[in-house]
Amino acid sequence: MATVKITDLYKSYGSVEVLKGINLYIEDGGFLVLVGPSGCGKSTLLNTIAGLEEITGGDIEIGQNSVLGLHPSKRNIAMVFQSYALYPNMTVSQNIGFGMEMKGINKSEREIAVNKVAETLQISELLNRKPGQLSGGQRQRVAMGRAIVREPEVFLFDEPLSNLDAKLRIDMRTEIKRLHQRLGSTIIYVTHDQVEAMTLATKIAVLKDGCIQQFGTPYEIYNNPSNMFVANFMGAPAMNLIEGIVVKSNKDVEFEMKNNKGGVISLPIDGIKDIENYINKTVIFGIRPESINDLELSGKESNKNMVEKEVEIDVVEPAGSDTFAVVEFGGKQVVTRLNGNSIVSVGEKVKLTFNLSQAVFFDEKTEERIR
Amino acid sequence: MISSSIGGNSRTNIKASRIFIYLILIIFAIYYLLPLYVMLVNSLKPLEEIRGGGMLNLPIVWSLDSWRSAWSSAQIGVDPSGLRPYFWNSISMVVPAVLLSTILGSLNGYVLTKWQFRGHGIVFGLLLLSCFIPFQIVLIPMAKLLGVFGLAGTTAGLVLVHLVYGVGFTTLFFRNYYSAFPTEIVKAAQIDGAGFFRIFWRILLPSSGPIIVVTVIWQFTNIWNDFLFGASFADFDSIPMTVALNNLVNSSTGVKEYNVHFAGAILAALPTLVVYIVSGRYFVRGLMAGAVKG
Repeated sequence: MATVKITDLYKSYGSVEVLKGINLYIEDGGFLVLVGPSGCGKSTLLNTIAGLEEITGGDIEIGQNSVLGLHPSKRNIAMVFQSYALYPNMTVSQNIGFGMEMKGINKSEREIAVNKVAETLQISELLNRKPGQLSGGQRQRVAMGRAIVREPEVFLFDEPLSNLDAKLRIDMRTEIKRLHQRLGSTIIYVTHDQVEAMTLATKIAVLKDGCIQQFGTPYEIYNNPSNMFVANFMGAPAMNLIEGIVVKSNKDVEFEMKNNKGGVISLPIDGIKDIENYINKTVIFGIRPESINDLELSGKESNKNMVEKEVEIDVVEPAGSDTFAVVEFGGKQVVTRLNGNSIVSVGEKVKLTFNLSQAVFFDEKTEERIR
Repeated sequence: MISSSIGGNSRTNIKASRIFIYLILIIFAIYYLLPLYVMLVNSLKPLEEIRGGGMLNLPIVWSLDSWRSAWSSAQIGVDPSGLRPYFWNSISMVVPAVLLSTILGSLNGYVLTKWQFRGHGIVFGLLLLSCFIPFQIVLIPMAKLLGVFGLAGTTAGLVLVHLVYGVGFTTLFFRNYYSAFPTEIVKAAQIDGAGFFRIFWRILLPSSGPIIVVTVIWQFTNIWNDFLFGASFADFDSIPMTVALNNLVNSSTGVKEYNVHFAGAILAALPTLVVYIVSGRYFVRGLMAGAVKG
């Protein structure tokens, strides 16, 4: 169990900079998820923490001690790889016990430890098989067993679920979360799947092009994205982003956007301090699908932030619990999340409620959040 | 009724095509085995029977005399020693040369794929280039070099020549094999605390069965069958089998003992044949299958 602190981490391959000054801190027992599109440097970051790749600058501390220059095996970490990386020529029990064998721990002790781990992961009956004889999910378990048996201070997971089929992936996700709760260990987890990130993490770091875009709790990342990239990347379906102009009429600040037919729609803006600086300028309005719905307005909620607008339904995607409807709004295809029991049909004009307390605005040029 | 008759028809069709395929295969097998048959039967005949013609006939008098003679008493150059001493010369040259070049090739392949350094591509390119250099070009510089090392005319010198020449090929084999070997496994082993040689010995080598067999067959065949280096660099006590066979055939005074020549030629070819038969069985693909992805 340990904290992990990363300070001003730089990494470049020749002239190509992959990590550009990463700063992160994970508390003891935290679950940090590094998420981002492919090529953003998240796996490289994990490899540098493991010591599998040299860094160009900065510092990495595990449990208050710098691990720079330490061999991967001396960093008190364990890693689970995307491809599981099981030793093909060894049995499951040899795979799990290999690290201990390298440490010179005797056979009987090794066996006890391996059996204990195998029991917790329910792979006891597989111990004498070779990796080639296991299914994907079983290999995943063995790979986790090999990590757990090391009793590391920090677990590193490199996209561990991306080779599994959809159903197994959800099962294993729960399993990893349970493992984290039971062991109480610090985990750093790399994924490109934002759902995995949201469900597992205590902290999320969103990466893009070797820079951290935002670092915070899943709630912060989802509800208070610091820029357009984070807003767009996190959440499925993604946040709707619509271009428009900020105008001031009388005392009220309003956001105006054009629809396809040349008409103007306006929405009130409330409680965003810096928006005054953007009067008559173009900004991006962001609203999540679930903030546009067809719930009846009760008198209590009916305030300035709840606005009803009439829209035309373009596409309907029932998903059981919810019905996603794509509508034309402000010149964009906007995804809305309606009640699963709603009956709407294509071409129909319906009144939807926009919950503007959840809306966010971004600077058009810098793509940064206007707060 | 109809369906059963169609079934019967197609079954006879399959049968006919089977027979046709086997017929072709048997004809070609006979065609390829014919020279071996000629060598074998004639090596078992007394010389008079061969002179009487009828190369394809089975021997009237079966005799192993020519084999005995080729092995231990035939005239090779100036010595009536048979091929036996040269057979051992070849063995003591081939075995270390094959082992060393295979070990070196696998280490090279391991480093070139899993411990890449700056300029690894160039190093591999240069090693690869050695596969394309004709033997004849290096003869004179190599002779000079062996002289400098004090290895001229020795078996050790021949081992060195074959090692140098073989490493390009063995490196190529192992590099290509290991580049398909997942690097994540090496990383996992590093985290488990295994070092450079431990990873090689415990993880890569045990997974290299097929490529080791390929390399050994390739190297053994090439080195055993080599004539040019043997003829150029060997001295009396290091002459390999191939050169001795040539001497046997060329140095007969008086009558040409064809039966002895046939027996000698088979003796010279036997080890490569044995290597193919023995290691071919271990030529199993897919040892790695399923070790990585589901």
